Amino acid sequence: MKTICPRCESPGVTQMHAGMEDGEVLWRVWHCKDCAYTWRDSEPAESIDPKLRPAWAQMKGVDFDSLRQVIPPARKPT
Amino acid sequence: MATEKVVSLSAEAKAVAARVGSLRDFLAYLGEHDQCVSWPDPVMPEPDIRNISVAAGNNVSTGPAVIFDKIRGYPGKRIAVNVHGSFGNLALLLGLPKTTPVRELFFEIIRRWGSDKPLLERVAPEKALVNENRIDKNINLYDLLPLYRINANDGGFYIGKACVVSRDPLDPDNFGKQNVGIYRIQVMGPDTFTLLSIPAHDMGRQMLMAEQHGKPLKVSVMIGNHPAMPMFAATPVGYDESEFAYASQMMGAPLRLTTAVNGTDILADTEMVIEGELQLNQREVEGPFGEFPGSYSGVRKVPLFRVTGVSHRNNPIFENIYIGKGWTEHDTLIGLNTSAPIYAQLKKDFPEVAAVNALYQHGLTGIISVKNRFSGFAKSVAMRALGTPHGTMYLKNLILVDDNVDPFDLNQVMWALSTRTRANDIIVIPNMPMVPIDPAAEVPGKGHRLIIDATSFMAPDNLGADPHLVDRPMGPEIDALMQRLNELQKGGV
Ligand SMILES: [Zn+2]
Repeated sequence: MKTICPRCESPGVTQMHAGMEDGEVLWRVWHCKDCAYTWRDSEPAESIDPKLRPAWAQMKGVDFDSLRQVIPPARKPT
Repeated sequence: MATEKVVSLSAEAKAVAARVGSLRDFLAYLGEHDQCVSWPDPVMPEPDIRNISVAAGNNVSTGPAVIFDKIRGYPGKRIAVNVHGSFGNLALLLGLPKTTPVRELFFEIIRRWGSDKPLLERVAPEKALVNENRIDKNINLYDLLPLYRINANDGGFYIGKACVVSRDPLDPDNFGKQNVGIYRIQVMGPDTFTLLSIPAHDMGRQMLMAEQHGKPLKVSVMIGNHPAMPMFAATPVGYDESEFAYASQMMGAPLRLTTAVNGTDILADTEMVIEGELQLNQREVEGPFGEFPGSYSGVRKVPLFRVTGVSHRNNPIFENIYIGKGWTEHDTLIGLNTSAPIYAQLKKDFPEVAAVNALYQHGLTGIISVKNRFSGFAKSVAMRALGTPHGTMYLKNLILVDDNVDPFDLNQVMWALSTRTRANDIIVIPNMPMVPIDPAAEVPGKGHRLIIDATSFMAPDNLGADPHLVDRPMGPEIDALMQRLNELQKGGV
């Protein structure tokens, strides 16, 4: 099954690391390039299952460019 | 103006200061006093580390530091939490018995306050323990650190207790303008992270300057530090005063500094240093993060840093913090150093102020004990407290109690509320500045302040039906009797 982001449901996710135990993969850490969510696939469902995560924490359909800036950039990045 | 004044310390305090030069030294010292434990069982990164951290922090008096060295999927890696999570641990750092009352810890911090002689030692980089290992290529923070999610709805894995060093981008050779602060760090890509600061803080100011002038901003993220560093790095000192100098003054013993590859000063014995450079004008989606008021901050765009190199001791310890709905290690870590400057500033104008307890959620609630000079005087003191640098943003609820009420003993504070407060001694000041992440704000950054005057009445007040207070025995004699009873309970004579 294709891994998608539990927060924004984007398929644009990258594996960051795999935790090993006795030569086997115990868990993998993923990072979403769209919403920047990071998760481990061994976490409790409340953090990684889009159906069980609280609605307020979901970001499907959010326009990331409209998020508030904490330190406004001086200019567009070069 | 510096006077080279050094505060005299007790023999015990000197011994601790001489012995504790690093996190490892402190963990060993805590262990000798039953204040540090190694968790014996294998743990999953989530939710085990979160749950055990909370359990350790629940005992505010003598909860232990906890070391994890059996983290599943992270063989050989180590995490330490709750190092500053109890007043017992802070007391030991100050060379006091671990059962020292919080009021006495407060006065010990106040006593050390006047010291202004920096005690810093230089260590050559090749001799610094932090340089035992160096990684310049193929950096993966998820591999180097046993990262984990602190609260279930955090947006990622946070480094919550690192002390971040940065040089002023426009005056990079100035040691005093070098800033050390604790900022929340969210690990992003394998070699990138965001660092949250606001324009009003030193780091935010340096980010703004770097981007406005197109200058590089290099930072060193120190993880696993001398215990004085996180405790005192969070205390606001002037922009051109060094937090390194201040922390060494408060410990009364030298801190060992070395130079990082990127030119910043770092603690020579720190467990790990991540060197990073601000990616000018680049932002990444950051948050939420369970913050100190016990609620999640929103999701925002935050400046992004790229890692240029990592140095670490052999077998490094990832020191982290549990933060969220109080009481947490965050409250213990910064509480006394939040209270002390408010006290010092009030005391200058009002010698009648006896003590200040601003332990709660970075001072969102503060309790001031003061002797009324005249009727209504405590309210004037409260107004002055709102005008102190910390009070301007943080002191939201203020309770004023008499000078013979210990503001650190909530049972005594409740007595004052029960018997000294008249409903018209409560003042609400609407539409005041507020910490943006206070969930009780009307709009982020703006809200109401509350002052409760729970001090005794005096003429020309109406003194009420029965104004003659009982003079409750208190002070050293009673403390000694309590100690004696304690020993009798343990089977002593
Ligand atoms: Zn996503």
